[in-house]
Amino acid sequence: MSRSLGGPSAKRKRPETDAPRLVDAELAILNSIKSKKDSGIWIRDIKLDTKLTDHVVNKSLKSLIAKKLVKEVVNIQYKGKKHYMAVEFEPSKEITGGEWYTNGNLDKELINALQRLCLKYMMAQRVATLQGVQNELKRSGVVNFEVSAQQVSEILNSMVLDDQIIEVKSTGLGDYHSIPIGTICYRTASVAGIAKGAKVGAFASTPCGACPRISLCTSEGLITPSSCVYYSKWLDIDF
Amino acid sequence: MVSPHGILLATHIISSSYGEQCSKVCDCLLRHGILSLAQIIRFTELTKESVVNCLRVLFNQNCVQPFSSQREGGFGEAPRIVTQYIVLFDNIIHKLRAPKFMQIVSEELGSDCLNIFHGLIQHGRLSLNRIIERNEQTTGKTDVQVLKESFNRLLNFRFIERCPSPEPFLAPQDNEEPPVKKRGARRGETQEVLTVEQRVLEAATPMESLRFLVDVDFASEEKVEETHAKVTLGKKRKSEAMVPDEDVMGAGEKKEVLWRVNYEEFVRRLRDKACISYVKTRLNDEASIVLSAILELSKNSTVRHKVVESAYLSINAIYDEVIKKDGGIGMDFDHIRASLAQLGCTCSSADGEAYSIDLKGITDKAQSEEVESVVLKRYGREAYRIFRLLSKAGRFLETDKISDDTFVEKKDTLKILYKLWKDDLLDMEKIMLNGGKQVAFLLWRVNKGPLFEKFRDEMYHAALNLRLRIIHEQEQAKEVRL
Ligand code: SF4
Repeated sequence: MSRSLGGPSAKRKRPETDAPRLVDAELAILNSIKSKKDSGIWIRDIKLDTKLTDHVVNKSLKSLIAKKLVKEVVNIQYKGKKHYMAVEFEPSKEITGGEWYTNGNLDKELINALQRLCLKYMMAQRVATLQGVQNELKRSGVVNFEVSAQQVSEILNSMVLDDQIIEVKSTGLGDYHSIPIGTICYRTASVAGIAKGAKVGAFASTPCGACPRISLCTSEGLITPSSCVYYSKWLDIDF
Repeated sequence: MVSPHGILLATHIISSSYGEQCSKVCDCLLRHGILSLAQIIRFTELTKESVVNCLRVLFNQNCVQPFSSQREGGFGEAPRIVTQYIVLFDNIIHKLRAPKFMQIVSEELGSDCLNIFHGLIQHGRLSLNRIIERNEQTTGKTDVQVLKESFNRLLNFRFIERCPSPEPFLAPQDNEEPPVKKRGARRGETQEVLTVEQRVLEAATPMESLRFLVDVDFASEEKVEETHAKVTLGKKRKSEAMVPDEDVMGAGEKKEVLWRVNYEEFVRRLRDKACISYVKTRLNDEASIVLSAILELSKNSTVRHKVVESAYLSINAIYDEVIKKDGGIGMDFDHIRASLAQLGCTCSSADGEAYSIDLKGITDKAQSEEVESVVLKRYGREAYRIFRLLSKAGRFLETDKISDDTFVEKKDTLKILYKLWKDDLLDMEKIMLNGGKQVAFLLWRVNKGPLFEKFRDEMYHAALNLRLRIIHEQEQAKEVRL
């Protein structure tokens, strides 16, 4: 986690070897937190688990954090709820949201930067394989970490879903001459090589096709074709 | 069965061209499926005479097809032959497309052919004599030979065809009771009605060798010409009088060969054109050339919508056709094989090297893109990505997996999915896992069958809205003039 376009992420400190003395309540809470390993635990569940009062739990947690035995983590499923984890664990993928999340937020900036880079490369190459894209990302040095093949594949797949690029199989001819026949490769979605994203379909380019209210529109009623403003705009008529 | 807005659109088309009563009969048939004359009278509460006249108009416009079948008699009674009617929904909708069809004829064959074609669009079905007569009246041209040549060209292009049998006999089969039952098992009904409709159409269509054959008629038409005046007169009288059920369409009248527009051919052409252009943008020029060659070679066997795959064609035949195409001359066997592979053609080596194209696969993809485009417009880019992921997967996926694969924030993913589900674009399933604590997982799926139906209905809705808006604009313009 914490991958970014900026500097390297700070190294986490290991827990101190000489465990400070803990009072019973703190010990019970620490055990409860530790038992959840890399999933972390919600403060309410700690209270349920240990059957301690709110006051004691809050105070003990503060103390455990100060002693660097416990840390607060963001659980991306329940962002508003405080979650805790023992310091020796790194939050699991379920909690952080995975490699593309930083502090519980999707790192869109990083994703977009990688997508732009891929697209630029593909427009220059016309056709590219996953390996080719990965090498290019490494060569460019735009990111400060090693992008795995899995990550490149995720980026490329998201671009396929966005219809910026399409997945094809090499025919071994023309643009594909250097790629073995049958290898999965990618190329920009439009033949001209200018990736505009999805082309607007025929139905979607009519007022009713694009209309979010179509299910409410009837010949008589509040929303009708005769009074429809989308149509007026489309026909460029001002009455 | 026809979707709700399909019915509204069809009845609107009929009512604006042929009046309210015809529209009522049409609506009744669209809602109930197969009906006898007595049932239509009962459901519409129109007089017998009105219903008969409406059926005749709709029949002449190729929107209704009568057929007869055998019904078991009661105790001790002999089986009876009964006449029933089905409405041909597609043909009603084709009326909207008439300008497009006329444009195709005009571009391919010129104005003489267009004039004949226009007559058939207007009148539904005409004999050659009526066509000649009409041509004289509308153009003042009296050269019958020129007209016959144009007629022949239309026929060779399969733009027109011999009319189907006015009342085919449907060989006895079980479950042929008219689906008078309302609601209830609607799915079962749909199946049954469709099957019967297909069977009726099959029974009514002339043999392929006769359907586009003209020579024989020209000879016989000459003879008919002499008695022509008499026939038209007789026809007129007949339409004014009451006719018994068995002869509503005048099947007993003096036989003249009737001709009509062959909609199937236009649908095939437009479908092929759409597929070729889809492949051109999605794959490349070469694949589109190969596809157009295959479609050209199999055009007479893929007219029906139900065709999902072309027949197997030999690589040599494909090659011969490819090199005739623009840009195809430089392609060799390797290029063609590569394109065939890209098109997902299946290869059979039973009779040498032969290929068949999965047409349905291409139309499905093109249709999916239309639907996706609507999702993009209505719900935005993130919803578009999510929808495309599910559409491609074709199975249930879990919320988190969807979020990961589409780079959409987890909480936004759930909101978008929920919205799409509420608008009937997705199926949802909830799974509870009991592992100490109960955890609920939500699974989502795009179910293409019902989804395409929904969009088809929306397109009918949109077409109806456009008609209503045009009428509104015309009324406004009239008011402004006043
Ligand atoms: S007529 Fe207007 S309001 Fe009705 S569906 Fe079309 S665009 Fe929407």
